[in-house]
Amino acid sequence: MVHDSPVMKSALALALATAIAALPSAASAKPGDNARITGLADLAFGTLNMVSDKTLTEDVCLFSDSATSGYAVQANGDGAGSAFTLASGAFTLPYEVRWSGSSGQTNGTALTAGVSTSGFVSAASQQACRSGAPSSATLLVTIRGAAAGSARVGTYSGVLTLTITPQ
Amino acid sequence: MTTQLNTKRGIARALTLAAVAAGSLIATPALATPHQGSLGNPSQGDITITASVQARARLTGLSDVTFTNQDPGTAAAKAQDVCVWSNTSGKTYTVTATGDGSSSAFTLKNSANATVPYTVEWAGTSGQTGGTLLAASTASASFTSGAVDQTCSSAPSTTASLVVKIGTTDLGTMTAGSSYSGVLTLSIAPL
Repeated sequence: MVHDSPVMKSALALALATAIAALPSAASAKPGDNARITGLADLAFGTLNMVSDKTLTEDVCLFSDSATSGYAVQANGDGAGSAFTLASGAFTLPYEVRWSGSSGQTNGTALTAGVSTSGFVSAASQQACRSGAPSSATLLVTIRGAAAGSARVGTYSGVLTLTITPQ
Repeated sequence: MTTQLNTKRGIARALTLAAVAAGSLIATPALATPHQGSLGNPSQGDITITASVQARARLTGLSDVTFTNQDPGTAAAKAQDVCVWSNTSGKTYTVTATGDGSSSAFTLKNSANATVPYTVEWAGTSGQTGGTLLAASTASASFTSGAVDQTCSSAPSTTASLVVKIGTTDLGTMTAGSSYSGVLTLSIAPL
């Protein structure tokens, strides 16, 4: 009769875990893989009507030279804790950010400030979209009417940083 | 010796001050946007988002005022708590009351076109039975709202008091059994 010893089980488990960790992931980038984001433009909402939501979109060029052309996007606002907020002095106005992996979209995946969201694939064939389609992704920024409706009077601004990682 | 040391220290301080002054002249470069990303891992870009919010105010929570079977020997007064919201930095506002009488007068009228005047008072806090006397069609002095949202859905539920009064002298001119009515319009302006 054979009994497995706890030591042997632990050794096997460790070896298995090591083997699994060593397996290449289909979604992960290899060393040397790069990405590039271009075609960005500032977004000016103008005067908000303080009742209805307002969304501005822009098509951007997103390039990834990984084997799958995959990438992850992380958006950081310049509010407290990288929050998506615009500021007017001490007052803030929140906004929301969505991202679509193709251009010309009116909806996308909601991004959480400071959190990388993966699973996007770029169709760009050149790092600045100088050949093929001129853009490959859509950035959507929304200011809710309710947020504007409770905001203090003023001109608000903020910087949104987009960080792209090849996958 | 002591003098020399002090002098050296003085020179050192002067040099330090000069360095600080020079450093302060070097402006921190502002982030120019849009900033396009470079090819890399990761690649990073920046944009500036701007929006403006106009000065706005809102008045909610109004109720009709009814005086029923009023004793002409007793002054009539009805107070109500309302919600005023202003999005100016100081949450300040003015109120202008307009009646539907002649030249916007605060008057009620019956079916025989007989009129009776009333007065309007406003307080910048709720729960009041009196306040600042308003003149018809004339903006009041500044009030400050404690409202945190447009309709006072979050506390405080009310932020101001509207008081309508009819004095005994005027009550005494009214015809018994006759119904008088009028419309009072309140305009709130952010300040």
